[in-house]
Amino acid sequence: MVWNPQLFNLLLNGLWETIYMVGVSLVIAAGFGLPIGVLLVITGPEHIHPHRVLHTALSTVVNIGRSLPFIILLVAIVPFTRLVVGTSIGTTGAIVPLTVSAIPFFARLVETNLLEVDRGVIEAAQSIGATTWQIIIKVLLLEAKSGLVLSITNTAVSLISYSAMAGAVGGGGLGDLAIRYGYQRFQPDVMLATVIILIILVQGIQSLGDWIARKINHR
Amino acid sequence: MNETIIQIKQVSKSYQNKNETVVALDNVDLEIKKGEIFGIIGLSGAGKSTLIRTINQLEIPQSGSIRVDDIEITTLAGKELRTARRKIGMIFQHFNLLSSRTVFGNIAFPLEVAGTPRSEIKQRVLELAEIVGLTDKLQNYPAQLSGGQKQRVGIARALANRPEILLCDEATSALDPQTTRSILKLLRDLNQSLGLTIVLITHEIQVVKEICDSVAILENGRIIESGPLVQLFLDPQTEIARKFIRTATNDTIPENLKALIHTQTQSGNGNLLRIFFRGETAKEPIITSLIRRFDLSVNILYANLDFIHDTPFGSLIVDLNGDEAQVPAAIAFLRDQGCRIEVLNGVEPATL
Repeated sequence: MVWNPQLFNLLLNGLWETIYMVGVSLVIAAGFGLPIGVLLVITGPEHIHPHRVLHTALSTVVNIGRSLPFIILLVAIVPFTRLVVGTSIGTTGAIVPLTVSAIPFFARLVETNLLEVDRGVIEAAQSIGATTWQIIIKVLLLEAKSGLVLSITNTAVSLISYSAMAGAVGGGGLGDLAIRYGYQRFQPDVMLATVIILIILVQGIQSLGDWIARKINHR
Repeated sequence: MNETIIQIKQVSKSYQNKNETVVALDNVDLEIKKGEIFGIIGLSGAGKSTLIRTINQLEIPQSGSIRVDDIEITTLAGKELRTARRKIGMIFQHFNLLSSRTVFGNIAFPLEVAGTPRSEIKQRVLELAEIVGLTDKLQNYPAQLSGGQKQRVGIARALANRPEILLCDEATSALDPQTTRSILKLLRDLNQSLGLTIVLITHEIQVVKEICDSVAILENGRIIESGPLVQLFLDPQTEIARKFIRTATNDTIPENLKALIHTQTQSGNGNLLRIFFRGETAKEPIITSLIRRFDLSVNILYANLDFIHDTPFGSLIVDLNGDEAQVPAAIAFLRDQGCRIEVLNGVEPATL
């Protein structure tokens, strides 16, 4: 491998683009996915606010969002992307499809986490006169916080992998770098370097997530 | 003590389970007096859990009325229901504590929910911890506690908003006998010191026997027997009640004795009687009187004696030998003394 400042800058730039795309879409996806996940749970049968129509509608939308392959979603929502951020290309243009695909993914994970909260604990909260809002915040979310951290970790890792496809719209990032330099220009050293950075990145995020989850778990 | 605090009238509830309707409660009537410990006992599936949950509307009955402290709780919803629930504490078989909060946080939870100021919360939590004996565990998480300690946290939490009623849903079923006894003692103490009305459901007659003042037996969603505890033990009306009592008093006849009784009664050799005595008759020397009055010898094959709220009661199985002609008079004499007599002739071992 030829180690030179040019390659270093290329990698640093790619890493920054990946972190930027993943970071922004993760925050927005969590912001939308969390309430959707909560709604999915509480409107479910036998839960604290059963609502069949809303539950089915939400569930269907989430399923549709999850069944589209990311590369298709990327091009399918170009008009929407343009509407939201003014462009459908570049790193910023990639954030919108990444977010849109991560919202239903994260919402399902949240749903699974919250369903694991013991019904008895919810019942105990009801028996002391807690409101729905208090049950959501103080019981569901706080009891599931450790699992929620792991779900955010999972979503971040998935987003890193999806972000590699952002190259298709000129989104940049490490995955794009690997394809353009490593594959198309036959520079295996670039390929190897990006893969190593990606592995370290994913490993780091997972370890951090695991550590936080363990730290806040009192079960 | 005679004032009614919970009145359940004609309450019914059924569930739709696939294609069949399961009746959980079938026109249940109950009256629970202020300051008493009321036990509802039944086998699993009898509807106990559903019944106790209708009192704080965790289960909403399809018909009937439930008045708690003169409020028709079945008509309440939203804020009014939440306010009413704060006056009805509840503890659970599996404790249902918040695993993410310390003991302090768990006891503080209902106070936070009720909007109690922070400074008052701290003071009240310390008070409650003192009552249940967990002052040194306030910073521990539930996972670090034993079952008995967890239930003490549950009790402190249930009492936080100073309820007049405490509902206990199989509160000791997950605990070992020794811990069960200590929790029951705590409940009894709270009943006496705070005048707390306690409604408990259980499948263990020992629990009922240990602390209840009144008891109702639930079977297939119906109350089949109810009244003061002493009355149930001394004069059970239904087969299921008798079964529960036999379990509670260890009044089970050993298999070899059952077989012996069976062969004796088949051969017609001997006069076997089962004598049930209670209260005052238990203190009388009835067997001595029997032997003195009649020309009979009495062979005691089996005896059982127990106490319920300091009233002795029990049963004997005796074999009368001697002048056969005197047996009917002897039986009449025993009945006069207030005993219930069963003549064990040709009985099947299974019915003993």
